[in-house]
Amino acid sequence: MASAFDFPGGIYPPERKQRSNQSALIEAPLPSRVTLPLQQHSGQPARPCVSAGDAVNVGSVIAKREGMISSALHASISGTVSEVSATQITIQGDGQDTWQRLPSLDWRVADTAAVLERLNESGIVGLGGAGFPTHIKARVVEQHAIHTLVINAAECEPYITVDDLTLRHSANEVLEGAQIIAKLCGVQQIVIGIEDNKPEAITALQHALPDSQPVPVELSVISTRYPSGGERQLIKKLLDINVPSGELPADVGVLCHNPGTLLAILHAVRDGQPLVSRIVTLTGESINQPGNRWVRLGTSVRELLEQAGLNIAELHQVIQGGPMMGTPLPTLDTPVTKLTNCLIAATREEFPPAPAESPCIRCGECESVCPVALLPQQLHWYARAQEDTKLERYHLFDCIECGACSYVCPSHIPLVVDYREAKSRIRLQRIEAAKAEHAKHRFEHRQARLAREEAEKQARRQARQAQQRRPANIAAPSSEKVDLRGLRIAHAAAKASVKKAEKTLARVAQEDPKQSLDDLEMQLATAQENLKAAELQLAQAREQHSSEESP
Amino acid sequence: MSMMHASTVKDAAATSLPPTANLMRWVMAATLPGIATMSYFFGLGVISNVVLAAAFGIALEAAVLRLRMRPIRIALNDSSALLTGVLLGASLPPASPWWLIGVGMVAAIVVAKQLYGGLGHNPFNPAMVGYALLLVSFPTYMTLWAPPQELLPNGLWAQIAGTLPTAQLDSLSGATPLDAFKHKGEAVLASEFWATNPLPDGTLNAWRWVALAWLAGGVVLLAKRIISWHIPITMLGSLLLLTTLFHLSDPSHFASPLFHLLTGATLFGAFFIATDPVSAATSRRGKLIYGAGIGALVVIIRTFGGYPDAVAFAVLLMNLCVPLLDLYSVPRTTGQPKAAPGTPREPGERP
Repeated sequence: MASAFDFPGGIYPPERKQRSNQSALIEAPLPSRVTLPLQQHSGQPARPCVSAGDAVNVGSVIAKREGMISSALHASISGTVSEVSATQITIQGDGQDTWQRLPSLDWRVADTAAVLERLNESGIVGLGGAGFPTHIKARVVEQHAIHTLVINAAECEPYITVDDLTLRHSANEVLEGAQIIAKLCGVQQIVIGIEDNKPEAITALQHALPDSQPVPVELSVISTRYPSGGERQLIKKLLDINVPSGELPADVGVLCHNPGTLLAILHAVRDGQPLVSRIVTLTGESINQPGNRWVRLGTSVRELLEQAGLNIAELHQVIQGGPMMGTPLPTLDTPVTKLTNCLIAATREEFPPAPAESPCIRCGECESVCPVALLPQQLHWYARAQEDTKLERYHLFDCIECGACSYVCPSHIPLVVDYREAKSRIRLQRIEAAKAEHAKHRFEHRQARLAREEAEKQARRQARQAQQRRPANIAAPSSEKVDLRGLRIAHAAAKASVKKAEKTLARVAQEDPKQSLDDLEMQLATAQENLKAAELQLAQAREQHSSEESP
Repeated sequence: MSMMHASTVKDAAATSLPPTANLMRWVMAATLPGIATMSYFFGLGVISNVVLAAAFGIALEAAVLRLRMRPIRIALNDSSALLTGVLLGASLPPASPWWLIGVGMVAAIVVAKQLYGGLGHNPFNPAMVGYALLLVSFPTYMTLWAPPQELLPNGLWAQIAGTLPTAQLDSLSGATPLDAFKHKGEAVLASEFWATNPLPDGTLNAWRWVALAWLAGGVVLLAKRIISWHIPITMLGSLLLLTTLFHLSDPSHFASPLFHLLTGATLFGAFFIATDPVSAATSRRGKLIYGAGIGALVVIIRTFGGYPDAVAFAVLLMNLCVPLLDLYSVPRTTGQPKAAPGTPREPGERP
């Protein structure tokens, strides 16, 4: 199948991959000291389970998963834990490189739960850049039937050659890793999407394809165009499926994985080796031995670049990630994490500072390159004016922040920066609004609880009075006319609102298990309190009513 | 955060749009064939128009920026005021008096552009605002289109200085082909009209050459991707379609499509005026409607309206429609649901 389906827009920036894909993949020297941040993944940071002075081996768990979306962390060198802070763990190496592996697991026969648990305890996260914990991603089958696994080897950003080198060296293993996920999620086909600027990786894959069993694998070579490696763009291009706005690929039955992640999965399952190292592209004009390295997590960026021949005099900035979506590092004394796929040590000439911004002349060049068919020129206008309703109407949140619009803008407007600011501002407002709503619901709950308590008190008092009255056998003076009909209606309404709250809670919990449900639970509790109070009042009124009629 | 920019990388595979200031300069460069051809046929008065208008443009822009307390050098550097001057200068009758050009440029730069907030904020095409104002206010001068003549006509300086007596103006003026055809009278058939040789020698020919020179400039802009094809093609398309229909229905009273295409400001307007991105519809779909609208309005005004040419009014009228076009021409964002046919939309709910 040729890649016949296209996403709109796209750009052709200079690739500059030659610089790092010419030399073979090698191991970086063992660092003498590593610093491991507790947050190397999306979700909550891990919780340390070692303390300073503890001896660790490579692969020892040093921090455990905390909460639903989180991932475990392992020592990447053997030695002694020298410091445990609120954000990171530092290990002083002993130079021995003693390993501690988990037992090997045969994924062909092992049961799903065991493999899932292995992914969980191995701390595997998506190595493409987002860092989503892989075991959580694999559990999506509990909600969605997955038919296709896409191996995202497009690697469309300039400079980065991690996937290219991974596939050249370990095509067989990557495919086996894919088979593990395929078995885990019950997919029917595996599709590899790779840009045609990686001929050697493509050849390696073609050689490896016949051995890949049992799920059929299809290799789809697509033309080079940024951002074809965007998850949604690739799915559109390979399968002609549009992932609806606000939903995930899993909602349309597709799962996307990066070759590096699949390799890590195989290492975890087959070799019992947790995620302690990854491949990093070292490139840029300021280093003289560019290439890809297996790097232990926590290695200092400065150390790594110096080993690659860093020319500090020429260095202008180091960019983590690609030049389109990456970020400049504020300091070189920062560790390589699970998310570091590329380090570009750039000279000033390599990425000249952008010329001064001039006004938008609405030329529409940004529109013609936008891969999600937005109108970036209009978004720009509304973002600067902080017109948030307009921004949402023009689908700001569908922006994938690929930077194609900024790249072509003849007025040098940093469009993506504007969009990110607008997005975070709107998100903040939403959180504030949710908080206010939650506070309101809490107040309502308190009111309902007080009302219910009051009704109970009333009921008790009435019961007491009735007991006292019975011997005297005097008809109770009907102090007020009882509105039985009104109470009955109120009771029915309270019952309905409990049902409604229950239904909403169930629906939301099923749709999105990750979402926080406290607010909905609170609303349900409020409704239940109201119902109880209504029941009590009704019962009381009925009794009063009957006692009035009977004598 | 994008570290790369198309204008600063030298090893990009595809050609990219030049920076905004260079865009303006490219457009100016593309007006050269048109201006040169016009001067060849209508004399140096064309050049004096352009130079004067450009000078007024820069001076007025600088003055207003100073009043608005904005950095002058940066804004002048984008050459947009210069371009407005060149475009207005090229649309005026050759050797227009300096004060006429000055009034036009005040309307263009001060009123239509800077009072709305400067480059990027003007809802109307500045050059056409200036032109329309002059056409309405000073019809005598604006219809004073001399017949083709030598490069340095008699009384050129007096004309530019505005010292020529009004009585003498009429003797200089000749009709443009559009003007002549418009006033031929109901009773006269087109074939009879042309048989009388209504225009001074070489007029029609001169206009055709000028139009072709504008076309050449426009093709350069298209080839360099300075302008997109959407507006010029749809504008010319709708113009040709409508004039063809009219012409076929009654060839003796409606001019031929080719006549409409090659006389007046049709080609100049299609490539240099209607394509001003600031005041045009912004989405590609919107541009198609915008261009077609201009083409249709040009035909309608030329045929049924009071003015022989209509590009300025057509562009301004479509500028007026841009907010509406922008609202209703938003493309469907990837991943957003297709609007089910027949679903009632609340007014103004789109997009």
